Order: sequence, then C-alpha cells, then structure tokens
Amino acid sequence: MHELVEFAVEKALELGASYAEARFEEKNGTSLTMKNGSPEGLEILADKGIGVRVLVNGGMGFASTNVLTRESVAEAVQKAVKLARAASKVRNEPIRFSDEDFHEVYYEVKMRKDFRDVSPEEKLELLRKIEEEVKATGVNVPMRFLSYSDQVWHKVIANSDGAFIESFIPRVSTTYNLVVFENGQMEQAPFVQRAFSGGLELIEKDEPWKWAAKDVQALKRLIYEGRKPPEGKVDLVISPEVAGIAVHESVGHPYEADRIFGREAAQAGESFVKPEMLGERIGSEVVTVIEDPTIPNSWGFYLYDDEGVKARPRYLIRDGIITEFLTNREYAYRLGQRSNAAARAINYNREPIVRMANTYLAPGDYSLEELIEDIKLGVYMVSFNEWNIDDRRYQQRYIGREAYLIEDGEIKHPVRRPILEITTRALWSSVDAVGREVEFYPGTCGKGEPGQGVPVWMGGAHARLRDIPLRRP
Amino acid sequence: MFDVNELVLKKAKELGFGDVVVLSHEMNRRQVRFANNEITVAKNWHERKVELFVELGKRIAGTTITELSEENIEQTLKTLLSNMRGMSPKEDYYGIAEGPFKYRDIPETFDKAIVELDEPNEYVERAINAALEEGAKRVAGVLYTDHDRIYLTTSNGVEAFDEGTGIEISVRAFIGDLESGHGTNSVRVLKKFDPESAGRKAGEIASLARNPEQGPEGKFDVIFDPLAFANLLSYMSFMTSAYAAEAGFSFLVNKLGQKVASEIVTIKDVGNMPNGYGTRKFDDEGVPTRETAIIENGTLKTFLLNTSLAKKYGAETTANAGLIMPHAWNIVLEPGDYSKEELFGEVKRGIYITNVWYTRFQNYVTGDFSTIPRDGIFLVENGELKPVRNIRVSDNLQHILESVEALTRESHHVHWWEVDTPVSTPYVLVKDVGITRATK
Repeated sequence: MHELVEFAVEKALELGASYAEARFEEKNGTSLTMKNGSPEGLEILADKGIGVRVLVNGGMGFASTNVLTRESVAEAVQKAVKLARAASKVRNEPIRFSDEDFHEVYYEVKMRKDFRDVSPEEKLELLRKIEEEVKATGVNVPMRFLSYSDQVWHKVIANSDGAFIESFIPRVSTTYNLVVFENGQMEQAPFVQRAFSGGLELIEKDEPWKWAAKDVQALKRLIYEGRKPPEGKVDLVISPEVAGIAVHESVGHPYEADRIFGREAAQAGESFVKPEMLGERIGSEVVTVIEDPTIPNSWGFYLYDDEGVKARPRYLIRDGIITEFLTNREYAYRLGQRSNAAARAINYNREPIVRMANTYLAPGDYSLEELIEDIKLGVYMVSFNEWNIDDRRYQQRYIGREAYLIEDGEIKHPVRRPILEITTRALWSSVDAVGREVEFYPGTCGKGEPGQGVPVWMGGAHARLRDIPLRRP
Repeated sequence: MFDVNELVLKKAKELGFGDVVVLSHEMNRRQVRFANNEITVAKNWHERKVELFVELGKRIAGTTITELSEENIEQTLKTLLSNMRGMSPKEDYYGIAEGPFKYRDIPETFDKAIVELDEPNEYVERAINAALEEGAKRVAGVLYTDHDRIYLTTSNGVEAFDEGTGIEISVRAFIGDLESGHGTNSVRVLKKFDPESAGRKAGEIASLARNPEQGPEGKFDVIFDPLAFANLLSYMSFMTSAYAAEAGFSFLVNKLGQKVASEIVTIKDVGNMPNGYGTRKFDDEGVPTRETAIIENGTLKTFLLNTSLAKKYGAETTANAGLIMPHAWNIVLEPGDYSKEELFGEVKRGIYITNVWYTRFQNYVTGDFSTIPRDGIFLVENGELKPVRNIRVSDNLQHILESVEALTRESHHVHWWEVDTPVSTPYVLVKDVGITRATK
C-alpha cells in the first residue's frame, strides 16, 4: 500500500499540483446489537480505500476510490487535480498551508486482549452481562438496546512535504439505551457509551454493566423520590461528565479555526470567537481547558494528525484566558502560526478538517466534599440527557438526568430535570472552584459535510458554578 | 453488476445460508463546498460496493464488500459463516419478501443531463450571486450532484435495477455575525434545478433579520418555515420505524390507532414520489416502494415495517426495508388550504422560525426535546416581522403535532445536512409552543 500512496502523491505533482496528500485507510471490525434481550445480528466491517487531496493554483480538490489499482488511483488523482483547478477560479485568495516539520513514523496501540481473536458469541456475552446486571437490580427496564463495536484503524498518510505516517489504532466500545418504567413513569438513559482505543481488556476493566446498573437504579430513585429542582439563582456543581459536554460544545467547537474563519458556516456554523480574541478573558482564573489527542487509550487518540503533523496537548483556555485555537495547516497559515495537529478525517473518503480529540476541564485542588460543603442551596448535576447549543456556540442548554439537591453543604434527594440554560461567557465566568480528579466520557463529534462523526473523549474535573439561574421543565 | 450479485448469491447458497440479499451500488457523487463567496473544496467520489445480508438458522449478519474479486467474496462469506455458527439465533426473525415483483418507472428520478454535466461551479456562482443581490455579504453552502445505480438480487427471486440522479444545493447567507438566512433546493432532474431560489431565500431572510433584539420566552404561536419543520419531521421519521419503537427511541410506542396529532395532520412516507430526493423503485428486499399513511388525520396508522417486523406484528410490509431497521424514503406532511399570507394573518402575536438545528431529546419515549432556531427569527405582530435572536424551542414532539393549527397550500421538498431523510412540508402554524432563552 505504501507504494500506491507514494504513487498518488507523485502523480498529483506531475499533473500540476503544488501540494498533494494521499491517505490509505483500512478499517476492520465487528459490531453486535441486542434488543430487549434478543441478539439482533452481526455486522462485519471491512472497508478500505485511498483519498487524495491536492492544491492547484490555490484551489483545493479531493477524490477517493475504493478500487486499489494504479489505474483507479491515477483516475482519482486526475479528478482531484481537475476539481482543484476549477475551484481555484472561484477563489478570492489562494489556499496556502503553514510550514511544518514532517517525519517518517510508524506507531500502534497494543491490545492486551486482541478482539480479533475473540468470537462474536463471546463479545455478545458482554452485552448479556449488561442485561443480567440490569435485571439483577430489580428495576423494571422494558426497553433495552445494547450494542458492541470494535474496529482496527490502519492508516498510511503521505504528503509532498515529506510526511510518511503509518498507524494502527484499535477502538472498542459498548453503548446502551435503557428505558426505566416504574410507578407509571418513564425515564431514560439514552446512547450511553463506554469507549477506548485499545483491546477488549479495557471494556472488561471498565465494566459497562456497572454503569448500566447504576443508571437504572438512579432513574428508579428519581421516579420515586425525585422532586422539583430549586428555581432561580443557586449554586451548581457539575460532574466530569457534564463538564465534559460543556467544554466540548462551548470551548472546543468555537475554538476550531475553520469555523472562526467561516468555512463551516453553512453546516456546523461559525463562532462567537474571533481571531483577535486570543489573550482575552473568557472564564474565571480557575478555568483551564486542555485538548489532548495523545492521552493513552483515549477514544480520540492519535499521535500524528491526518495532515502528518505531530500531535501535542493544546491549551485552549489557561487560567481563564483564551490561549490557542484548534488549527490545521490551512488555518495555521491564516493565523501566521504552526499547525497544532487538529486535522482529522473519519475515513479515506473524507477530507481532513479541524476537529477535537480529547477535551477536558483541567483539575483544580478541591475534593467533591469541599465543593459541596459551603453550598447553602444548589444542585449537583451528575449526568445529562438533552443538550444543544447555537451555531456560534454561545447559548447552550444541558438538562440533568441524574441530579440531586444540595442543601446546607449536603447532597439530598434527587431532583427532576434541572435545566442549565446559559451563555458561554457566563458559564465559564461563574466557576469558582474545580475538583482534583479528572474523568473522561466518550462521544462522537459531528461536523463536516458529508458528516464525519469522529471519536472523542470529553471530561474533566468537577466544577462549582456560583449564582446560576437554574430552570425547571 | 448483476454478475457480481449472482456470484455472491451462488456462493452463499453453496455455503448453506438461508435468506440472502445482495444490494450493489455504483455511485458517482460530486460536491462543491463554498464559504465567504468562494469555493473551499471540490470533491469527487466514485464507489462500487456490495451490501450483503445473510441468514443462517435465524442468525442474521451483514457486511459491505468493496473488493469484488471472487477470492475476496468467498473469503467474506466464509468469515460470516464461521462467525455466525456459534451465535444465538434472533428468535423474532421471520424472513424476507417473496419475489419476484413488477416495478414501474417513477417519473423524474433520472436525468442524463446530470450524468453528463461537466462542471457544476456555475450553479454555485449563480446561488452566491442571488444571495448577494438580496443584500448578503457572505455566502456559504454546498452543492452535490449524484448518479447512482443499484442492483438487487435476493434468494427469494428478486432481481431489480434502479438508476437515479440528483442535484441539490444548500445556501446560507450572512450580513453580520447575527443576521443570516438559509435556502435549499433538491431535485432529481436538471431542468427543475433552481439554485437562485435557494440563494435568494437565504439572502432575503438575512436582510430581513438585520439588527435582531433578544427574543422573548413563554408560550407562543409559532409559524415554522418548511426548512424548520422539515427538521422536526426528519427526526420524527426515525421514530416511525418499528425498530426504533422496539428499541425505546420513539414517542409513538404503544400508540397505534391512537390520536397523536391534530386532525389536520396527515403524514405519509412516499417511497415512489416523482422528483423526491429519497425515491427508489424498491426497498432493500425488492418490494416496490409505495405511499404509506403513517399518521392519518391525527391518528397513528402504522409504523414503518420490513417483511420480518411485519410478520412479527401480523401486518404487511410497508416497503421500508432496511433489513435490520426499516426507514422512511420521503416524508410528506400533507399541505392544507391556507395561503402564506392567510397563515401569517392568523397570528396576532407569535414567532416565525425560518430554520432550526441541533434537535435533541430529553426522553425519546415521552418526546420531550429542544431545538435551536438558527438564521432569521421574527416576532410576528399584526402582520409585521421584527427580528429577534437567541431563543430555543423547548417542547414535546407529540404536543407540537397535536397543536398544529394551520397548514399552507404551498409545500417544499427539503433535504440538507440537518434533514437527512427528505421531507415535503408546508408552512406550519403551531399553537402554544414553549420558547426559552438563556438569562445569564
């Protein structure tokens, strides 16, 4: 495959491209689902192909093929070059890329328990274990949708600036949707995922069945003991899971340079953040948000991005100040910077665009007890269901699934659906203390057209927000 | 590609599989993405692939084969077989449709002119210019052309072919940071393609939306533009699949035969709609697609079914396979009898929402959700439109359907990034819709 990738790059240069990049990707894996205790079927994934991206006269073209012959790849290259040339005529400014240091690298994530050696029936046992543990709680859960998925991602990336990166990254996950029906009421934990880069041992160690059992017990308790949350201005403690979605939506996304410059305007939107806001305060001094693709076994793991640039941790907010945007080479050039390796593509047939990997609220020095102990009246939001944010990433809302009243420094009874509806600036300015322990939660980040759902982790430490206008449904 | 299909079927039967479905695709797709009035990237995809579904003693499995050599086909089937042998059966599996079937050509689904179109960039420029003429400063969007051939062969006697084309554009126009509008146009034949209409609408809404003020909250009568209501109906279309109902992703669970919407609401899936972006001659089992009333005059008539789920529930397939998960082709909300002016005239004080995105559910089974208006939002007061911003629709899907008060005669076919399942819908007036906003 190395030869075909190199051939594509050389061919593009021959045809007049000033820059060329070819990416071979192969994904192999299995997925299984179980609906209400019945196995729904097995899906085997075996997909591979090459994508070629070129610059010609400052226009960008992309083409892909899953027919892996020299003829077919040459045809894709010709198409990409032709498209780029035509696109260059409808541009005000030519596209240019930042200068970077490139390497020839091979890396892989090792599996201690290689899921390729495990039978589908044995993988199905993991889902059966979730069924059993949920049943063992005694909670009535009439609808149970469970799925398991594993894939090995093999990539070979070469570009005309000297990058040659080959990687093997295995990814493994389980997901559940559980509907609890008790006392005539329904509560739901939808699309809850546990996911890692690595082998099956990571799922076994993580024990998704324990998460599922905890979820349905919390929902049952919510049905029987849940009361209205307090309204008006209260204090709010958000868990790592809620902090994670908040940093992903209101820090990660608006700091994506392609959105800042309007490239995503018709799809995922623009951003309230402008290039001149670097160095501006957006949150309180205890807020630091880090974006780090290099966290071992993380769901969003990579060491080199899909433009061949070496990854590193990126400090989006440091001590409340906007310090860095997420960039690829195109927007790094626009900003007069070096790329920080945020270019990702979900498959060979997609262009690399600016994406998050693992985004988290950096830890502070409080224990959870210390965060709670001097709250007179507040809410502890442990998990969430509904969430959304406007397309400039400014006005957002998160609704608690598992949540509790805090009264006189103690966690009390569950509360139903506390609603945090707040602006980004108010959210991060209201944080007065952050916990010590960091946890991560997986997700699929949607962006691009055609859509590219990329695996990400979101998380962080607990955080305490003061004087928050909480709502009720 | 029927020769490939035949080979796959023959080898599968030799290995002892029961039901076998082989669905091959040859796809040519082009994309031109644009932003800030210039093209950001142009793309081309050419793909050949075989989607394969097999059954072995009620165990079911699927895969996609992209390398179509005889050796790889054989290898793939053997892999499926060895993986399935040890698996537990799916006890509620009841087979695939019995063919053969007769198919009719569906008008306006194929156009040679789209296949032969050399260069679509002029359409992009026309859309951008139309938006700029309406006052937009920045225009962004995407144009696609599609040419697909599908070949279906099943172990139950189906051999079917369909060839389709399409061209579509989605345009978003901006004036400042907060003033934007959106328009789309999706058609199957070139002569009906009107990129200017999409650009013009985007530009017009952006111009009307100048200098918006913070919007109100409370209960309001809301007029949903077709673009906005299509988003809600596209989400709803997933919930009409019997699979989604079983898996706990639908507010329609256990409501067959019950009233779930206002009497003026009739929602259909029309798989054989001329010029429909989701139209196909047959479903994944080869059953000829058709029109299915899902909600008729407010009453839930059926979930969308394939043969297996239909047999499970003692019904007939609705020709919506998806072998694992039935799905809609083109969702149609039947139009009403209001003109657009009459509909707006019904509203003394309400809100006109031109587009929404990021629809998310608190609880799929109850239908509680919120969605965010984007682009122009207007307070409607005695026929006048006043631009507002930063509000959120926070309500319940069944409540929205039950509160539909009026529908226009004018209807639009919508398909874009946020409306994955194509939807045809009029302008819709809904009473007492929950509107919230951030207060800090």
